[in-house]
Amino acid sequence: MSILKMDDVTKVYEGKVTHRALNQLSFEVNKGEFIAVMGPSGSGKTTLLNIISTIDTATSGYVTIDGLRPEEMTKNELALFRRRQLGFVFQDFNLMQMLTVEENMVLPLTMDGHSVDEMKKRLLDISMKLDLYNILDKRPNEISGGQAQRTAIGRALIHKPTFILADEPTGNLDSKASRDVLELLSKVNQEQETTIIMVTHDPIAASYCDRVVFIKDGEFFNEIYSDDRRQTFFQRILNVLSLLGGNVNDLSTIRLS
Amino acid sequence: MTFRQFAYRNVIRNRRIYAAFFMASMFSVMVFLMYSMLLFHPKIDDEFLREVASTGMIVAEVILYIFTLFFLFYSMSAFLQARSKEFGLLLQLGMERKQLNKLVFLETMLIGAFSVATGIVFGYAFTKFFFMIVRELLQLESLPLYVSWKPFALTIGSFLSLFVIISLTSVIFIREQKIIELLKGYKKLDELQSYSTVKAILGIFLLLFAYGAAAFTSTKVVFTLSLLLPPVAALGTYFFFTHSVLFFHQQIRKRKSLYWHRYRLIAFSEGAVKLRENARMYFIVTIVSTVAFLSVGTLTSLTSYTGQYRELNPLALIYTSELTNPLERQHIDLLTRELEEEGLSYSLVPYLVKKQTSSFSQYEVDILRESDVNQLAVALRAPLIELEAGQAMFIPYSENSLTSFKDREIQTVLEESNVPILVKGVYPEMLFPTLSFGSNVIVVSDQDYLLINEPVIGQTIEESFYKFYAFHVPEWERTKSIGLEIDSQVTDAIYSNQSNDLPFYFENSGLNYSIIRATFSLLLFTGLMVAAVLLLAAGSFVYFKLYTGLERDKRQFEVLKRMGLTDQELIKIVNRQLVPQFFLPWGIAMLHSAFSFISLQVIWHDLADVSILMEMIYVLIGFTFIQVLYYFLIRWRYIANVRAS
Repeated sequence: MSILKMDDVTKVYEGKVTHRALNQLSFEVNKGEFIAVMGPSGSGKTTLLNIISTIDTATSGYVTIDGLRPEEMTKNELALFRRRQLGFVFQDFNLMQMLTVEENMVLPLTMDGHSVDEMKKRLLDISMKLDLYNILDKRPNEISGGQAQRTAIGRALIHKPTFILADEPTGNLDSKASRDVLELLSKVNQEQETTIIMVTHDPIAASYCDRVVFIKDGEFFNEIYSDDRRQTFFQRILNVLSLLGGNVNDLSTIRLS
Repeated sequence: MTFRQFAYRNVIRNRRIYAAFFMASMFSVMVFLMYSMLLFHPKIDDEFLREVASTGMIVAEVILYIFTLFFLFYSMSAFLQARSKEFGLLLQLGMERKQLNKLVFLETMLIGAFSVATGIVFGYAFTKFFFMIVRELLQLESLPLYVSWKPFALTIGSFLSLFVIISLTSVIFIREQKIIELLKGYKKLDELQSYSTVKAILGIFLLLFAYGAAAFTSTKVVFTLSLLLPPVAALGTYFFFTHSVLFFHQQIRKRKSLYWHRYRLIAFSEGAVKLRENARMYFIVTIVSTVAFLSVGTLTSLTSYTGQYRELNPLALIYTSELTNPLERQHIDLLTRELEEEGLSYSLVPYLVKKQTSSFSQYEVDILRESDVNQLAVALRAPLIELEAGQAMFIPYSENSLTSFKDREIQTVLEESNVPILVKGVYPEMLFPTLSFGSNVIVVSDQDYLLINEPVIGQTIEESFYKFYAFHVPEWERTKSIGLEIDSQVTDAIYSNQSNDLPFYFENSGLNYSIIRATFSLLLFTGLMVAAVLLLAAGSFVYFKLYTGLERDKRQFEVLKRMGLTDQELIKIVNRQLVPQFFLPWGIAMLHSAFSFISLQVIWHDLADVSILMEMIYVLIGFTFIQVLYYFLIRWRYIANVRAS
């Protein structure tokens, strides 16, 4: 059953130079899926994510999220929708510098006016799961990148959203922290059946997903599904990427035999 | 593109951020020029007025200069810090430090020259208007606009030198930094979170102490306190903004039901960070606003003194003459003739005042006759008195004495003439100006008056009796030009310290009133303009800081909007962030000045018996109104900027 449906979505940026960021893009995402969107720089990944986030609207075409049409909703309804149904993870974490780890995580709940007891209960639950319990009183500038991204994931999960939208969540992390974050995301995906859409450049990150959608110059290019072994899935991702760029030198030099 | 063009374009393209900076310095130049124009005015003939005008202007100009220097220095360094990334990039591209200094120097001088130029144009344009107001205040015949190089040279010289100082010193802020630090920008969040509980509590304690001491002050200690309290209050204010604010925030933070509530989480924490980040600036704004409130308030209270002048000086002219004075006849003729020439109706009551020693206090008392007092009372439409032989009554010498003598009853003997009298009660209104007689004045019945004919022991009759002429003129404001000749003789004698040798004394309330009124209103007007400059600058500080932090705020609101913050909530957060930034320094300044005025009231009360409460309330309401306007203006700009992304 599809929870997100894109139908011929086109996005044109008007301006001194008209720029077509998305061109008749169509695809569907099923409930509980973990999908990665890949593509070279400037292929429209971020525009796509912004349209799904409902902070940007398509020039033409339809988007249906959880049975709702964003273009038919008012600004306030959209804000409430984002607040309750969506969770965001960013490349540079975007934690509030003046809030502690704990306050950053409860932020979506406070915005929605939950009771303090409820917030404390969920906070305890999630901080145990994310191994953040010991640093709840720290500020974002006092913790490591991995911890900061886990905090951001905590913030994205605490209100039990239908969707998690991640924009290059591993872009600023070292390999160990990247692996932790990705394992965490796939665990959340499996245990809570949260749908996750992740934009990434990194084939290793993409190999954790159920499906990878490739876009190029704003158009749908290809999609591949995972198989039993991550190793071979990774290899297939690399193969598509090499086709996508048309230039093997663009790509990661690692090749697994 | 030459180097100079580069500097020029930097300024032009950063014009929005430079706007507040430019406005405040231009306004300062403008006011400075107007003051200088008055300072060098060739047509103020009156010696006294010229002195008042020039002293007032010089003081105002010095304050303006120091404050502008301070303001520019602060905004310049904040501005350079905000641009540190840009400078880092230039250095990375291979610009020499020397060139960077030159760039900053050129930019500052450019904006400086531009604000001096526009300030002078606007200043000169408004000078005529300024002169019209001053002419009205000083009641001068004419105060024409004139052309002279002096005021311009003073203004241009002062402000250009000021900008040179600023541009040379502000570069130091970027010179010390490494390129990588410049590129990363200033991140001082660590420092922001730390506060000391001791200092936080000390700050509150110092403020409370200062307020308490000011509120319960008395005449004896008020002068000691006026030296002690300002530094205490200033230190308290400093700790309040640097430590106590964070301390309070921490207290709220602990109470989660209060803190974890909707947008409060963001609004409170952001507000606290902003307050702490700009703590020094808010400290300065608070002190500046306090000084502005105080100066205007003090001056307003002086004007209210002139309003009550008439009540304290019911007589238009008084002339006192010793019995030996050869000019007496001539002077009185002169005064009556001048009054008639001016077409002023008047009533003249001559008194023969007799001095005697009171057996009760052993002091000398001045004695008036009942029928003389009644004659004046008729003219002034004051109540008449009726005394029997052996009865007497106090004549009040100040408003205070009206109440303090009211129930006093003294049995005494006028020693030299051996006349026993019972002094009972006080005449219910001020008949004579405060210093016409000594502080012991009584009125006795006509019978008793006749019995007094012995001089005070050790004096002749001529020395212990004197004449007192009271002129009542209903249109007393018009007596300005009466008796100028006699007045100048008295004034000269006072200046040369020989007033005791002069056998006569003359006072013209109308003339004195016009001088007092002119002086006070000129000072008030000057003070108001200085206060306006200070307030404008204080507002610009806030605007400036908001603008330099705009990029960060924008990014933050973008994230929050993505997470589902509605527009209404954004506005609520902005309100809750801005309100403390605007109204906390202002509120503290209000408290400071309110308590200062309580002390000031004590001083005033003793000096002139005047209540300044109403004037103060008007002044504070006026400033509040301006501040609220300014708040809405800046909020409007800020929200527009934050939402535009």
